[in-house]
Amino acid sequence: MELSRRSLLAGGFALVGGTMVGCSSGMDTSAPAKTNVATTLVLWCWPGGLGKSVLDETITHFPDPTIKYSEIGGDFKQKLITTFNGGTGIPDITGIKGEDIASMLPQANRFVDLKTVGADAILGDYLEWKVKQATTLDGKVLGIPIDIGPTALYYREDVFTKGGLPGDPAKVAAELSTWDDFIAAGVELRKANPKAPIVSDATDFYDIIIGQNPTRYIDKDNKFIGDQDHIRKAWDICVKMMTSKVDGKTPGGSPDWNAGLDQGTVPALVGAAWVALDVKAACKTSVGKWRLAPTPSGPANFGGSFLTITKNAADPAKAFEVIKYMLNADNQAKAFADAQIFPATPAAYDKPQLKAADPFFGGQVPIEVFGPAAKNIPVAYEAPADSAVAQPFKDELKSVQSGAKASDAAWSSAVSKAKAIAKRQGVQ
Amino acid sequence: MTGTAIAPAPSAEPLTGRSSGQRSGRRVWSYWRFYLALSPFYVLFAVFGLYPMLSTIVLAFQRWDGLSPRRFTGLDNFRFLFEDPTFWLSLQNTVVLFFMSTIPTLCIALVLAVMLQSAVRFTGVYRIAYFIPNVTSLVAMAIFFSAVFSTNFGLINAGLRSLGIPEQDWLGQPWGIKIAVSTMIVWQWVGYNTLIYLAGLQSIPKDQYEAAKVDGAGPVRTFFSITLPQMRSIVLFTVIISTIGGLQTFTEPQVMVGNSGGTGQSGMTVVLYFYRAAFLDNDYGYAAAIALSIFMLVLLFTAINWRIFRVRGDAK
Repeated sequence: MELSRRSLLAGGFALVGGTMVGCSSGMDTSAPAKTNVATTLVLWCWPGGLGKSVLDETITHFPDPTIKYSEIGGDFKQKLITTFNGGTGIPDITGIKGEDIASMLPQANRFVDLKTVGADAILGDYLEWKVKQATTLDGKVLGIPIDIGPTALYYREDVFTKGGLPGDPAKVAAELSTWDDFIAAGVELRKANPKAPIVSDATDFYDIIIGQNPTRYIDKDNKFIGDQDHIRKAWDICVKMMTSKVDGKTPGGSPDWNAGLDQGTVPALVGAAWVALDVKAACKTSVGKWRLAPTPSGPANFGGSFLTITKNAADPAKAFEVIKYMLNADNQAKAFADAQIFPATPAAYDKPQLKAADPFFGGQVPIEVFGPAAKNIPVAYEAPADSAVAQPFKDELKSVQSGAKASDAAWSSAVSKAKAIAKRQGVQ
Repeated sequence: MTGTAIAPAPSAEPLTGRSSGQRSGRRVWSYWRFYLALSPFYVLFAVFGLYPMLSTIVLAFQRWDGLSPRRFTGLDNFRFLFEDPTFWLSLQNTVVLFFMSTIPTLCIALVLAVMLQSAVRFTGVYRIAYFIPNVTSLVAMAIFFSAVFSTNFGLINAGLRSLGIPEQDWLGQPWGIKIAVSTMIVWQWVGYNTLIYLAGLQSIPKDQYEAAKVDGAGPVRTFFSITLPQMRSIVLFTVIISTIGGLQTFTEPQVMVGNSGGTGQSGMTVVLYFYRAAFLDNDYGYAAAIALSIFMLVLLFTAINWRIFRVRGDAK
């Protein structure tokens, strides 16, 4: 039998089936398996999820039991689910990514309610909206925030001023305070410089605009509200970006986007604090020409993870001590210095690591934009089925962008698809 | 190596025990070494192939989010499948991509194989060169191709510009996505099929070509009257293998246009939709139903291929 991609794919396909089903035998008991042995404390996170110096220092700070850190690459959530189903080798402490936390809340019985091990004393140190993301509707707190992803407007000062727009961050903040202003500025810029569309990709903005709302697609009563005004407004803003021809149709992360950042054809973007890493990696000649301003129409959050304790933990109280130490304001500031892991504790924003001016942003102090943004992000309820329900809207918006569909037709198609998915997921 | 050289003792006995169940049972057991030698494949297949496949069938009738208890829901998943426009779109995309990639791949491979067959020098170099795309990392290639097809700084658009043709937003248009994805599949699979065809060509007896020459047939006539008919079984093999692979296209669109399938969901193949249902939407039961539909699709296409080629073979 020759080894071809085909046979490999077939094998991989079978393996996928295997992870989906094979590991699930005997898992119809949703009660967690036996607890871990107390000799080590196993901690799982993904590469770059925790600051290196903070991690090393925490490990030496807690000699007994020894902290055994495992860096889990690849699809982290999938590996965690598979391990849960396997019933053995479950970590005591595990990271959970921000985009996965909503789908983990229904599994609250696999995690320790941190309120039972003393979380109440420290929850006030963290941003309220972030803690809410890891809180079940009946009030159990499953995770302590590692970091957050407050958004800001990143822009090229040189391109803006050459195109007749304000260049100073304070002025940009004042004149581009809403999406309408932003689009109007884009029209202005296009007149002066047709090669610099202010919107890199209109469909990339959709999720951010949704994130500026206090409500999403499904409300707390498990009702579908994706067909209501707040979603339609976000949709319409994106469509307006397309119809006023300020949309560059260059998706974030694409080769064109990367090249455009440095060459000035992507003169602005709205992204979380960690996007700075991508922008910095892509830019060589435009160092010092970037600036930061608040997100038009208010801040949103993109990403940001949690540390949780599983029900299998040998000593939940001890595990909580570790989390409490590792994620305190001092260490969050250190993690920011380590790898731009943006703190979820407002107290960290006053630490020297965050007060530093950044030459990449022309000496601007990023925290002066991100700090207030972090505190003003709306608290929104995210249902477990939220991301599945959101998908049709994003798919259909792309059809509008390519010109294949008119906005209204695409909207009604998105709503009906989303409704079908919501119904399937048990949403009313 | 011949069978007789290592045949076990029982074969030396006269074959009188055929009617006796007990003796034939003992004879089967006397081959245990052979079964043992064969067993690794079957054991691995049972654990990693058969069991997951059977479980997938069971799962297709259940609701499961990956962690909660599984719940039987009868035909619910399939009912949703038939009403799901995205599923039908993904099915359509898969079939279109299959035709857009497989037909060019096999045609080019056959031409290349004939050319390689007649090449005198550097044949080894050519064969290696054509095979290299097949052993290159799929993800690396997909990233490379998405750079080639990118709008402002891509190689293809640079070429179009120099010819005075307006540049295209390849990965932002439904047809552009299909062209980009199928180009990549063609590029990757031409070499593999060329080598298989080359092996087939070399097994055609030389005297048939000589006879054709004597009869005055030119190269084109020889190709259609001798080469192609003699290659029928090889072509069937490559068509079936390409069908199975082509209907499971996943990595190329996933890396090039993302989990959403890109503009108009043009790159959304059935396997990508399956992946999205299972691992992004945590709807494993539904994903299993999609997986079964892929299985049925592959079965259907293989049956069609088989029929077309066998009927022609009989008519010969």
